[in-house]
Amino acid sequence: MSSTEYLFKVIDRLLSNTSDPLSFSKIYKMIYDEVEKTRPVNTASINLLREVGRYILENGFNGISEFLDTLRRRYEDACSEAARIAANRVVDDDVLMTMSNGVCLRRMFKFLVDEGIRFSVYVLESRPGMEGLDLASYLDRLGVKTYLIIDSAARFFMKNVKKVIIGAEAIAVNGAVIGKVGTSLLCLVANESRVRVFVIAPLYKFSYETLHGELLELPEGDWSYLMDEEIRSGLPENYRARVPLYDVTPPHLIDGLATEYGLFAPQAIPAIIRQVYGEFPVRTEDLEIIVNRVIEVLSR
Amino acid sequence: MKIPDEVKIIGEDIRSMKIRGAGKIARAAAKALGLAAQKYSGPNNPEVFKKYMTMNAEYLLSTRPTAVSLPNAVFYVMNALEKASGNVDELRSAVIEASQRFINESLEALKKISEYGANRIKDNSIVLTHCHSTASVSVIIRAYEQGKIRKVYSTETRPLYQGRITTRQLLEHNVPVEQIPDSAVRYIMHEVDQVVIGADTIASNGAVVNKIGTSQIALAAHEARVRVFVAAESYKFSPMTLIGELVPIEFRDPTEIVPREWIEKHHNVEVLNPVFDVTPPEYIDAIITEHGVIPPQAAIFILLEKMGWVLEKIKLGRLEKIRLEDLLEE
Repeated sequence: MSSTEYLFKVIDRLLSNTSDPLSFSKIYKMIYDEVEKTRPVNTASINLLREVGRYILENGFNGISEFLDTLRRRYEDACSEAARIAANRVVDDDVLMTMSNGVCLRRMFKFLVDEGIRFSVYVLESRPGMEGLDLASYLDRLGVKTYLIIDSAARFFMKNVKKVIIGAEAIAVNGAVIGKVGTSLLCLVANESRVRVFVIAPLYKFSYETLHGELLELPEGDWSYLMDEEIRSGLPENYRARVPLYDVTPPHLIDGLATEYGLFAPQAIPAIIRQVYGEFPVRTEDLEIIVNRVIEVLSR
Repeated sequence: MKIPDEVKIIGEDIRSMKIRGAGKIARAAAKALGLAAQKYSGPNNPEVFKKYMTMNAEYLLSTRPTAVSLPNAVFYVMNALEKASGNVDELRSAVIEASQRFINESLEALKKISEYGANRIKDNSIVLTHCHSTASVSVIIRAYEQGKIRKVYSTETRPLYQGRITTRQLLEHNVPVEQIPDSAVRYIMHEVDQVVIGADTIASNGAVVNKIGTSQIALAAHEARVRVFVAAESYKFSPMTLIGELVPIEFRDPTEIVPREWIEKHHNVEVLNPVFDVTPPEYIDAIITEHGVIPPQAAIFILLEKMGWVLEKIKLGRLEKIRLEDLLEE
């Protein structure tokens, strides 16, 4: 599931539990634990939980459904606007390379098709997970000329490519991009060939924790991400696999972040944060503290 | 004069890929030429014998036109014939002797490479390898026996997962190994001390043609200042590249990547499946051959020292146009 899909699912789950404060508090805590455990770099959900918590602590439980609806619309708009800004960088006869299958990335391709831009796309299959196949299917339905290649073939084909455009899981304060594993390798390969890299990064993916020097811990998986039981049983008993799920792309390998506020250098994140919030660094309470206070307030 | 059945059987096995792998193809071709010399029953005329051997050599060359180890083995044996003089018996024994020498040297090469390669591995190393290469696996196993290897990362190597073969072989020798997806090489690279990979073909400028993905692994290593070693027998060096020939990169069936039904359902999607890529010499620290450890830019040294005769011929034109009959005029 892409980061924005995950975010929207979290909103839907919260929205369907707004009948009474107690059940809302339960699902709110449950989602918080899930995110911490299974999707710790999904900053979009972390930011959402923080905003919801702040709302409850300031306004109580009343109007929470409307607030969630507003947030959803805001995120929807941010995703579309960031996609549109990235799409502006694509011109006729461009050859793009991308990977994985993000919501905002798909929206960008839709914009390009709607605007009648002629372009073709190399899609990496994106192991583990193989989300590239889903993106290739989507592009096929849009009628876009698409080349599906294995992750290892990125450098082989990079010479044919004009631009790399990708999505992101999270953005750190220094402009580093946390993305699906393989993102940083793709950006390195592009950089070597002097191909420009643009990341579609609506600001709800910004990790406020990193403002305070917190490191993002990246989760890893085991062999089950690479094969089914049957294939595993054919391998030696002591066979082990290490499967990173995300990686970090340093800002110097990225030419531009496409956000809803415009396209800018990844290193300019502090300037944007200052513009949007009027201060830098912005006030960011620890989410765990917020969650505990929300539970306390809602159970009263 | 006709090609003996014994030679034809080997030739057809190479053609049908029953004999596969650079080393095995090379040794089979050398053996076939030795057999051809043994089976010669023509007149006791050195010129006729040379012509007969040339015919056999050209036949063998035609069986796998893209494999670099094949012409190298053939030229090795034919070079001995050219240098030899005397009557048919003397020429015959020169060929048989060269054929046997090539086979022995090729088998010895792996042993030497594993020794030289292991010497280059530092104590307490974490090594990353790609695909499955007999030469790199033997380097890693030898280094492990010397107590130098802490851990090996082996890439899965899509689409055919040859990394699983590597992992299995290393586990059989008790080498601690973890498999990673190909996409994770940059993520893992900061833990890695050395990269050891094999080669399919080495060009005259030291560029290494190897399994797709090798060049971006070497790039990630270069970025992280991790050393990259290529383990390769000398018959993987391509004399043809010296006259500017490009090494052809084979594209294989897309169904290796996705099922046929998927391809048929997606009319706008083309699935591209190149098998090899080219790693430039600047990303390679050394090539480990049986003749020693050389910088990639010195690939020409191996070519000149070991393939001198071939080079003379090749300068006259493209490989397929090389007339081995030239032998007769000298």
